Amino acid sequence: MLRRLVTSVLLLLGVTIVTFALTNLVPGDPIAAALGEGASNNPATVAAYVERYGLDKPLPVQYFIYLGNLLQGDLGRSLTTGRAVTTDLATAVPATIEIAIGAIVVSLLVSLALGTLAAYRRGLVTDQVVRVVSLIGLSVPTFWLALVAFNLFFLQLGIAPGSGRLSPQLTPPPTVTGFYTVDFLLNGDGVGFVDAMAHLALPVFVLSLFTVGLLTRFIRTSVLEVLDQDYVRAARAKGLSGTRVVLDYVLRGASLPILTVVGIAFGSLLSGTVLVEAVFAWPGLGTYAYDSATSLDLPGVMGVGLVVGVIYLLVNFVVDLLYGFLDPRVRLG
Amino acid sequence: MRTTPLLSSLALGAAATLLLAGCSGGNSASNGDDSSGGSLVIDAAFSIETADPGNSYDPTGNMVAKALYETLVDFEGSDVTTPVDGLASWEQNDEATEFTFTLEDGRVFSDGSPIEADDVIFTMDRVKGMEEAKPNFLLAGITVEKIDEMTVKFTTETPLLQLPALLANPSLGIVNSEVVEANGGTTDGGDTAQAFLDGESAGSGPFTLESLDLTSQVVLTKNAEYNGDEEASYDRVVIRNVTESATQKINLEGGDTMVAMDLNGDQVSNLASGFTADSVPSGQTIFLLVNQNATVGGVTANPDFAKAVRYALDYDSLLELAGSGASQATGVIPTSFLGALDDGIVQDLDASAAALTASGYTGETIKLQYPNDYPVGGVEFTPLAERVQSQLEAAGIAVELAPAPFTTELDAYVNGTEGFSMWFWGPDYADSANFLPFAPGLKVGLRAGWTTEMNPEIADLATAAASETDPDARESVFTDFAAAMQEEGPFVPLMIPGSNIASADTVDGAVYNSIWTMDIAELTPAS
Repeated sequence: MLRRLVTSVLLLLGVTIVTFALTNLVPGDPIAAALGEGASNNPATVAAYVERYGLDKPLPVQYFIYLGNLLQGDLGRSLTTGRAVTTDLATAVPATIEIAIGAIVVSLLVSLALGTLAAYRRGLVTDQVVRVVSLIGLSVPTFWLALVAFNLFFLQLGIAPGSGRLSPQLTPPPTVTGFYTVDFLLNGDGVGFVDAMAHLALPVFVLSLFTVGLLTRFIRTSVLEVLDQDYVRAARAKGLSGTRVVLDYVLRGASLPILTVVGIAFGSLLSGTVLVEAVFAWPGLGTYAYDSATSLDLPGVMGVGLVVGVIYLLVNFVVDLLYGFLDPRVRLG
Repeated sequence: MRTTPLLSSLALGAAATLLLAGCSGGNSASNGDDSSGGSLVIDAAFSIETADPGNSYDPTGNMVAKALYETLVDFEGSDVTTPVDGLASWEQNDEATEFTFTLEDGRVFSDGSPIEADDVIFTMDRVKGMEEAKPNFLLAGITVEKIDEMTVKFTTETPLLQLPALLANPSLGIVNSEVVEANGGTTDGGDTAQAFLDGESAGSGPFTLESLDLTSQVVLTKNAEYNGDEEASYDRVVIRNVTESATQKINLEGGDTMVAMDLNGDQVSNLASGFTADSVPSGQTIFLLVNQNATVGGVTANPDFAKAVRYALDYDSLLELAGSGASQATGVIPTSFLGALDDGIVQDLDASAAALTASGYTGETIKLQYPNDYPVGGVEFTPLAERVQSQLEAAGIAVELAPAPFTTELDAYVNGTEGFSMWFWGPDYADSANFLPFAPGLKVGLRAGWTTEMNPEIADLATAAASETDPDARESVFTDFAAAMQEEGPFVPLMIPGSNIASADTVDGAVYNSIWTMDIAELTPAS
């Protein structure tokens, strides 16, 4: 466990070094980008800005100041919003995690069903159909799908709400977790909860499609390998029901590699939400990352890099714990 | 049927998802309020950092500040050529160095307290004190003093006929000095009132601030104490951050919003029935920069090369890329400003060929640099650059496109290291003096390597325009400046992109203004 902790810290340190170096290597003037034409022509404003953000110091000094502040939980002040990066991330991260969790849950349920079905019907029409569906999921451009789905379900059919996390006539719930659905429930607001869930539906659907394509193909392959195992044949021979065989033997046996891919897919969802967030006006991490990057907002970019890195590490940690739970032969190193 | 339970779960999940979506009700925000003056929803691609007017200098920020605070001077609708009384009326001396403002009697802030000279003094001194604030430069060289409880005098170091127009900027909205001072406001540069003003407003505008979330929405409520002549028609206004114009259009047509601020020309022309758009030229000008520094630009430094480019282009064809509301730029001064030329350049390939020969151009490939991720008024620079490239090649000028992200390219532009590039310019305040920086030796001129010595005549015209105080003479000298720039300058103004504000037919008054984008208080339920 200690070795793992040390490795994690080193990995995060690496993330800060790479992000810091890459952001500073990009040619461009963050001051002009942040202040705009009029203000950047005013020497007093530029001088005050440079001093406020410590931009007059050598890069290594800036980096070590950043690290020192980081140890105290201070990610710096965004050059674009002017607020603490932790404040910005406190709203952006839950918004993205909310759709990412929704997408991974939906993807897992759908792909477990489709992948298992395809494996059981290997070579038959069902298998072919599932493989085509999976291929479509992997091939359809997310941005295009988001626009088409929004147009169809909201504008044409009128069964989905408009963009954003909440209908404009509602007020966001008092922040506890940052997840609107959870916070509405904690606040005992059923109407808000349903509205927040409804606004999640389309972004989750769009984000899920790619992950469904990815997981379905993987689950199919994993299940096929397990189906040939002796213990599955033995379970069938004992006369167990098909559902029990699938749930207790086949899926459990195939769960380790599936879990690994799910962990990777969740991480990808976090960093792949930029376009979906743009279409659905979802104020999440993807939007914040894009805005920070295009404004050369170093503290913002580094904050996003760190958060994504930490989440990746946490997800991997959870996956490793689940390994041990699903297969006692596996022990955490 | 072994997989039936799994499939059933799947079907159940899908049904639950659709049910939830249905429960919320698509097309939800029509909500019937729009005709009763209840609530209004506006979609805009956010460009806002704060609701504190003294720290705000962005399009969305200005729109919000305009709704929350009033300025000494105002403009009516989209007309920014004639400043009118705002919170005050004014008189000025003949030299345009002293401006005396008398506050309107009886006007109050949103807490009911009267607006007095001390509030004006505090507002201006606060902005002057905050050196890191973006609007700080607006008050450079200007001092303010109190004459009596209702009168203040502005004194400028040099003649500043544009001062009234400058004071109409929402960044200089008058704040309630008592409230702001009680919450960290100072004039000595140590101001910490921004956090307070991001939570609640302290102005006299038609609205007050209900909530501010810089990433998702700003909510305004009607100012119950407002006693000016622009009372709000809606009790509550929600301005949402919707960055994608396609999403704004779908939201508008689906009834989720009533006003969409950022549709491009094509989207406006395809609007469904029941919606209208105010499509007018914006305040921005897209232009080509032809560097006059031979070290930077090589052959582009010959003034005849700029002339060859100027006459080689088919401006009508370029305008096809801009859609509704756009117009050809007739010079560096946009058409809605004093001194703008009536007609733009017309393509003349013979004149272009003659100028090209005179420039000494020998067929070398010229690199055209431009930002490729920063559309202006819905105009994407990449297709525009491609069309410019095609037209110049037809005129015998070989062009290689060199796009880069905005933040990367900006550095080269500002430092004057681009030989041939495409950029844009917009006014900081509503006066033609905003366009004098194109002159030789001034900010934009120097970005084109154009020093005063290279064209002292135009430099003199710019100096004369800046100091002229007689209105008629001022218009004349600005016109001369614009004409000379069009003939001899190293800039090729291409177009003024349109600004398209689309709204449901149930809403009136959605009109573009180049300073504050849109005056929310002018929005009313359709009669």
